Amino acid sequence: MVDINLSDAEKCYIIDGVKLGIRVDGRDRLDYRHLEIETGLVSTANGSARVRLDRTDVLITVKMEMDRPSPDQPNQGRLRFFVNCSANAAPEFEGRGGEDLATTLSAMMDRLYSSPYTLDRSCLCVVPGKHVKVLYVDIEILDCAGNLFDAVSIGVKAALWATHLPRIYVTGEDGGELEFEVSDNPHDTERINVSNAPILITHLRITENLTIVDPTPEEEECGPVQVVVGVTPSGLITALQQLGQGTFTTQTLSAAIKLTRELGMKIHTHLTAKLRQEESMENREIRGFL
Amino acid sequence: MGLLERKQKTFYRKTKKGNIIKIVREHYIRDDIWCGLDGCGSCEMEDAILEVQNTSDSTLVPQPHHLMIDTNVALHQIDVLCDDSITDVIIPQTVIQEVKHRSLPIYKRLRDLIESSTKRFYVFSNEHHSECYVEQEAKETLNDRNDRAIRIACWWYSQHFKPAKQSVVLITNDFANCMKARTLELKAFTMKEYVASLKSSPGLLDLVANLDKDENEELIQRACIYPPHLGTADINQGVKRGKLHHGVLKTSRNNFLEANVLAEGFTKSILIQGRQNLNRALHDDLVAIELLPEEEWSTPSTVVIDKEKQEEEKEGDSEDEGDDENTLTEEQKLLASGRGKGERQPTARVVGIMKRKWRQYCGIIKKNEITESIRHLFIPADKKIPFIRIETRQPDLLYDKRIIVAIDSWPRDSKNPKGHFVRVIGNIGDKDAENEVILLEHDCPHTKFSESVLNCLPKLPWIITEKDEAEREDLRHLDVCSVDPVGCTDIDDALHCRKLPNGNYEVGVHIADVSHFIRPLTALDKEAQNRSTTVYLTNRRIDMVPDLLSSNLCSLRGNVDRFAFSVIWEITPKAEVQSSRFCKAIIKSRGELTYQQAQARIDDSTMQDDLTNSLRNLNKLAKTLKTKRIDAGALVLASMEVKFHMDPDTDTVVDIVAKQHLETMSMVEEFMLLANVTAAETTLQHFPDCALLRRHPAPPQSNFEPLLAAANSQNITLDVTSNKTLAESLNVATRDNNPFFNSMLRIMTTRCMMQALYFCSGTLEPPEYNHYGLATPTYTHFTSPIRRYADIIVHRLLAVIIEADRTYPELLDSKKLADLSQHINYRHKMAQYAGRGSAEITAIASLRGKVTEFDSYVLFLHKNAIQVLVPTIGQQVTLFLDKRTQKRDDKKKAKKKSPEAMEVDEEITPTFEFNDKELYVKCDDLVLRPFDHLRIQVSVDASDVQHQRVVCQLVHPVIPGFSVPSVSQDTQEPKLKKIKT
Repeated sequence: MVDINLSDAEKCYIIDGVKLGIRVDGRDRLDYRHLEIETGLVSTANGSARVRLDRTDVLITVKMEMDRPSPDQPNQGRLRFFVNCSANAAPEFEGRGGEDLATTLSAMMDRLYSSPYTLDRSCLCVVPGKHVKVLYVDIEILDCAGNLFDAVSIGVKAALWATHLPRIYVTGEDGGELEFEVSDNPHDTERINVSNAPILITHLRITENLTIVDPTPEEEECGPVQVVVGVTPSGLITALQQLGQGTFTTQTLSAAIKLTRELGMKIHTHLTAKLRQEESMENREIRGFL
Repeated sequence: MGLLERKQKTFYRKTKKGNIIKIVREHYIRDDIWCGLDGCGSCEMEDAILEVQNTSDSTLVPQPHHLMIDTNVALHQIDVLCDDSITDVIIPQTVIQEVKHRSLPIYKRLRDLIESSTKRFYVFSNEHHSECYVEQEAKETLNDRNDRAIRIACWWYSQHFKPAKQSVVLITNDFANCMKARTLELKAFTMKEYVASLKSSPGLLDLVANLDKDENEELIQRACIYPPHLGTADINQGVKRGKLHHGVLKTSRNNFLEANVLAEGFTKSILIQGRQNLNRALHDDLVAIELLPEEEWSTPSTVVIDKEKQEEEKEGDSEDEGDDENTLTEEQKLLASGRGKGERQPTARVVGIMKRKWRQYCGIIKKNEITESIRHLFIPADKKIPFIRIETRQPDLLYDKRIIVAIDSWPRDSKNPKGHFVRVIGNIGDKDAENEVILLEHDCPHTKFSESVLNCLPKLPWIITEKDEAEREDLRHLDVCSVDPVGCTDIDDALHCRKLPNGNYEVGVHIADVSHFIRPLTALDKEAQNRSTTVYLTNRRIDMVPDLLSSNLCSLRGNVDRFAFSVIWEITPKAEVQSSRFCKAIIKSRGELTYQQAQARIDDSTMQDDLTNSLRNLNKLAKTLKTKRIDAGALVLASMEVKFHMDPDTDTVVDIVAKQHLETMSMVEEFMLLANVTAAETTLQHFPDCALLRRHPAPPQSNFEPLLAAANSQNITLDVTSNKTLAESLNVATRDNNPFFNSMLRIMTTRCMMQALYFCSGTLEPPEYNHYGLATPTYTHFTSPIRRYADIIVHRLLAVIIEADRTYPELLDSKKLADLSQHINYRHKMAQYAGRGSAEITAIASLRGKVTEFDSYVLFLHKNAIQVLVPTIGQQVTLFLDKRTQKRDDKKKAKKKSPEAMEVDEEITPTFEFNDKELYVKCDDLVLRPFDHLRIQVSVDASDVQHQRVVCQLVHPVIPGFSVPSVSQDTQEPKLKKIKT
């Protein structure tokens, strides 16, 4: 992703470190870097979150629109993911440079949330077959220092958690067209149940049988192949995707998946606790980008 | 000091397209908002508005105090606030904003009060005040939040005023709010309680509005003004089951809140009354209706509901959606008051709209006094269309313009349909703009002829070739002449007559051979077919075919060779047609005579030339023909068409002349009728299935009811069993004291008639071919191909019959011909309306700027109005029986001197009693019946450029308190002295 040129010696140092169980920045194999989350920082959106993981910086906003449901799912709302890779994040993203990554990322998010066990989309339905809510999740990559997928997935979950949708009152029907009203009270809103929303955990293959999570860009240089695993809070694996060229042995892969389940459940618990904590803060000052 | 904090106000809003968006506004809190009290000490304002009070007039609040009002008080008790004794009022910004949101007219009045320096009304910007700003809480409605904001503001004032020894009293009509305010140790009273406690102004209590109604009602009302429409599936199901019916909605001309639907399976049209029953259906929409239970059936209203008037009296209340309830009930009352006692008609309500017939509408923008507002009302020129709400940011540019607006939607919670501005036509009063409005409103194609159309025209110089001469009969030796009105350039008929050796006459009618130039299926033909007719406006003619044809090559001008399609009869001196034949010919007219010239020639016995003698013979024959026709039962009807003489430069009306009647006119008319009848008979004989004919159905007896009732009121009985009996009874119905009586009767009879229609002979049974007015079994149009497309088709059929031309498939396809006749019928009707509309505008223009008196005759009586006919200008005007103009003046006065407006209005208002059985309007001893002569004063109220209304007032007979004195004799009818009737 980000062009870093490492010498063989430097690579060796990183790989050998991992083999010995200690990474260049002192972390363990399954340690994450310090992660910062703030929600509700974009007041014009229905929900928003910003996630910073070291220098990796993503901003996620959720906006709601009304639309007709797709004919095959008349009582399901929709989630649509759009990723924009800002040229600020990396010089390669300039022009259409970030497009491939953006497509991969948004496709991954689509896959992640495509399982019916992740998010109950029927709560986004206003009138079956006629009106549903569509959530547009815009993901803005502001800076990139490794492990983008994990950061984005955590950000999306946090943004959805923080999303407030205006309550819609169906007032009647007119000539086959439904009429609805929104409450004049901005506090009269609904939340989305994200208790099953999954996150992604990326494993970078360092050697034949060793993987690490939350790799730095330098570490990413040392292992060309990664596997991204989606996991729900209950430990259900919902998506799996390999990134980069290379091979995983079955043992490594199943070990990675097993690790993901344990790690994922931990991160989920931790994330929910932190989001609850943030919400319970009174008169919380929005820090945003200031 | 200054800016303290930034807040964000968040709210959700539904967009036009039905999406929901979140809106976030910045909101800044300041600490330098002053209280407005002169001598407050702690505040640093420059011009303090409120004065320190030293005494109190109220027994409830003995301390000197200021008032603070809440929103409902502002909305409902504005009359009290206008009173002079109410001064020093603090209006929180919250209230001002809410009032603006809920009722613009009241907002306007409140703003006026704030402007006036004597009232000392102070607007306190509490929303930005650091100590008074409140945020909406999670479980709080917006109303509750606003009430709380007002209480907090009041509390702040009461604390702030303590050092100045002033107090504040909150006036609120909301009981809960009152109680909550008292727990904050505020003084809070209802308006009634407070006003009752005032010692010095006892009369003020009368101004307090009694409002027991819960305001929630208003909210519910606001959500649904109209019942919902059914979906297409439900409608189809309902129609199938017979529960619903469908048909095209036709709005009444007199009353935009009443409409009729002609539904299948009903002999009578179904009545629909009232805004809610009409349920957003517009004129010409295809609607689904549900019959009301029989006990709710109604009769057509006898009141004239003038949309303009309605809206005006409410002073733009239509802006105010909250007030709709009142409007609706008012309208209901008005409708109910006019309900006649006649036979009840099936009545229904609209439950769904199957097909909208929305088009673009011409009209003007109603002036909105709140300049920053972007919402405006659009007044369509078509009286049958309700006002349309549009949004524009450039109202100033549009005020004096005629504009076009398109309707976008009509949601249930909006009283008026919503639309958007399309384009400007031109300035109000501008000749071209007014003409265009008329043409657009009547769907008359009036663009320039396209290049491809013009390419179909023959190239000039146009010469008659030898081939032409070989194909056509050469009739250039005959003494043919044309007789037309003055200034006619599209001459499509000419006549000749010569004595045959056997004593009979040979009479020829020569019609411009338009079908020679307009070949079937060319661009020119398609264009002419689309236009179908030439449209005559008072100052403009919109040709059906390009000028080169209409005024030159086809026009049978004098002393030039022209192609004609001729019909030649042999007629006995007793006017019996011996034989007839059609031929294509070349003629050379000996002269383009006007009716007057022809008449002069006939009357001048010294003129003995061939042309004059043939005119005399024609005239003689025509008289016999006419007698025969009338014996057969043809009706002589009257219209009140007048001719406007315009000054072409200034485009003003110089003179209005009633259309004169000369013998020569009926001479031409008789032969044209004969030619048409002959053409009809010939085409029908050869093409029994695809002749284009014109029928005039006998009107159903019910059509005559208003006529018979009106005649009855004058003790005249008309026999309407057949056209013959009707014609005879019309002939004997005269009144010595009223020379215009018979004409009036005939005008009214005309209005009972059905429309004459073109049709294709194959689509109807022969008895239906009958022409009621002319009393002929078959009839068609043959004589004016330059201005009517139907004649061109008839020409083509005849050309095929005489083997002068080929046929083409469309000509002989009775289905296509039937469709074509429908189209022509529509265009004809529209062209007729356009012509009348133009005459009306011209007539009104001629009245502008002066007060004119006219003789007029009562045409129709209504409960609140009399429609009278003014023959001089050929218009029908409405004399309202309520005191509408004065009322408005009073209102204005009352506004200015509102405090003293307590005096009782001592004017005598006459009461009119309307009897719809015997048809009279009675006022004390005076009884007005149809046909009665009235002298009226007519002027145009041009005070508002946009609303030029014809104001009509009674002069004679005198009704105290209603009629107006006559203007002095010498100024009477200043310009119209030369009236020739």
